Amino acid sequence: MRILTIMFEKELVETWRTYRFLTLITFFLILALMSPLVAKLTPTIIKLSLNDTLNLQLPQPTAFDSWKQFYKGITQLGILVTAILFAGTMSQELSKNTLVNLVTKGLPRWTIVLSKYFSLLLQWTVALSLSLFVTWGYTAYYFPAKITPTAVLAGFLPLLLFGIFLLALILFGSTLGQNNYGGLLIPLFITVILYLINLVKQLHNYNPLSLIGDNLAILQGTKPLSQLLPGMLVAIAASLFLLGGTVVLLNHRKI
Amino acid sequence: MTALLTLTHVQKSFGTHHVLQDLSFSIPTGSIFGFVGENGAGKTTTMRLLLGLEKSEHGSILLAGQEVTFGGNRTNSITGYLPDVPAFYDYMTATEYLTLCARLTRIANREQRIAEMLNLVGLKTKKQRIHGFSRGMKQRLGIAQALLNEPQLLICDEPTSALDPLGRNEFLELLATLRGKVTVLFSTHILSDVERICDYVGILHAGRMQKCAPLSDLRNQYGRSRIMLTFPDTPTAKRCMQVLAHFPAYAVKNTVMIDYQGSYTNAAHQVLQTLTASVTPIALQHKCPTLEQIFLEVTGNAHSDNHV
Repeated sequence: MRILTIMFEKELVETWRTYRFLTLITFFLILALMSPLVAKLTPTIIKLSLNDTLNLQLPQPTAFDSWKQFYKGITQLGILVTAILFAGTMSQELSKNTLVNLVTKGLPRWTIVLSKYFSLLLQWTVALSLSLFVTWGYTAYYFPAKITPTAVLAGFLPLLLFGIFLLALILFGSTLGQNNYGGLLIPLFITVILYLINLVKQLHNYNPLSLIGDNLAILQGTKPLSQLLPGMLVAIAASLFLLGGTVVLLNHRKI
Repeated sequence: MTALLTLTHVQKSFGTHHVLQDLSFSIPTGSIFGFVGENGAGKTTTMRLLLGLEKSEHGSILLAGQEVTFGGNRTNSITGYLPDVPAFYDYMTATEYLTLCARLTRIANREQRIAEMLNLVGLKTKKQRIHGFSRGMKQRLGIAQALLNEPQLLICDEPTSALDPLGRNEFLELLATLRGKVTVLFSTHILSDVERICDYVGILHAGRMQKCAPLSDLRNQYGRSRIMLTFPDTPTAKRCMQVLAHFPAYAVKNTVMIDYQGSYTNAAHQVLQTLTASVTPIALQHKCPTLEQIFLEVTGNAHSDNHV
């Protein structure tokens, strides 16, 4: 535990000084700021682009449109940027031989995996939570119609939990691959498989991908959060399996 | 002298390539052990086995009475390791990096020990981050981190190969100061470095330890001592060769080399007596056997043995 804490602190210093956390949080905040704004301005932009010729009656944007933009942005660009930023988490250490000195001083390899994972998890949670609160505030400002905090948090929880799975997958890929591409391609490959599994309707709620596909429905109350419980459990179980696999991989990797 | 490290019948292969075959040797406590061999002889693999970074297929490695195992870290607390090109976290300062290492190895009086180490290696850049360090500075930081936990065994893998002559000299002087305090395993293919600081030498060739003995013993056993005569020109050297026909001699331009065994004084006397009447050298030098000669002879014999 003592060594895990030391390595966790090292990871936090690293992510701060290499500007990874700063980049992540800036990107997520931009997405958070843009979501309500895009929702607010979309009808105006459409009207201007159509030049009044069709005399189109567009519905007034609502808070749900703002949240729709938020979830679209985070689950597409947000996840992509997260994967790009964290793809080299382990592979860079392995390719640069920076772990040699520490391992030969008796550093257990499992602490390397866990400290990196907890650091990624903390960054994801902080960046995601901050972006949620920014979007929440701006949405409330632009669209006075109230959405209960319970509904907002219920929609948000699956996305947060998906991060647990995503980050374990990125770390596994980064350890398995010889370079940064491993950290990107292996999660991409697994995601494609999960999308194919999603084609089977009966398996939809068990698929971790459901955690980033049904957030708006939960927010609107058209789908209960409990329906995603199997997906959440699968995501957590898969994360534990991936973390265990990462430790086994690292134990067998040449350092 | 008791042995700090003992390898017994160690074998290691990568695929079909047998890197180490029945490797056995010991390193006496407190010695500076020069581990020499050509590229690909298996020096780095041996060191990685000692550090638990590789798994041996057969044999045992005992360090201070404890078995070294792959992935295990019991013996790492008494080992310091300096790779040929040490890698650090570039975003840290030297002090921060050493603090990380000190915390991991539970060093008491951390700040004092770090200051001592930085002073020992001559790194006084408190605020400069490692990404701004020169190669020599990184090597010094490498030594500091390797010695930080006061190891019983310091393993240096070709530490001088990346250094300029000045840095190399400083490093060797520093290593020499450790004699008697720390047992040093020093791998290199710069044989003059070994001659300068090592008291024991192990010659690794074709995955086997061909010779492992004190340097002085190897000199006595293998080295051919020579007398070098220098003449004003090549024709005179050739005339000398005719005069010294019954000596084991050969000429190189205006010099003549004569191999001898036994006492130098007797050999030099005999040579000079033979020459007196005919040719006179302008210089006479006693050439001690070099480690390079010994190495070539040992590995040459091993090579011919392998082909018998």
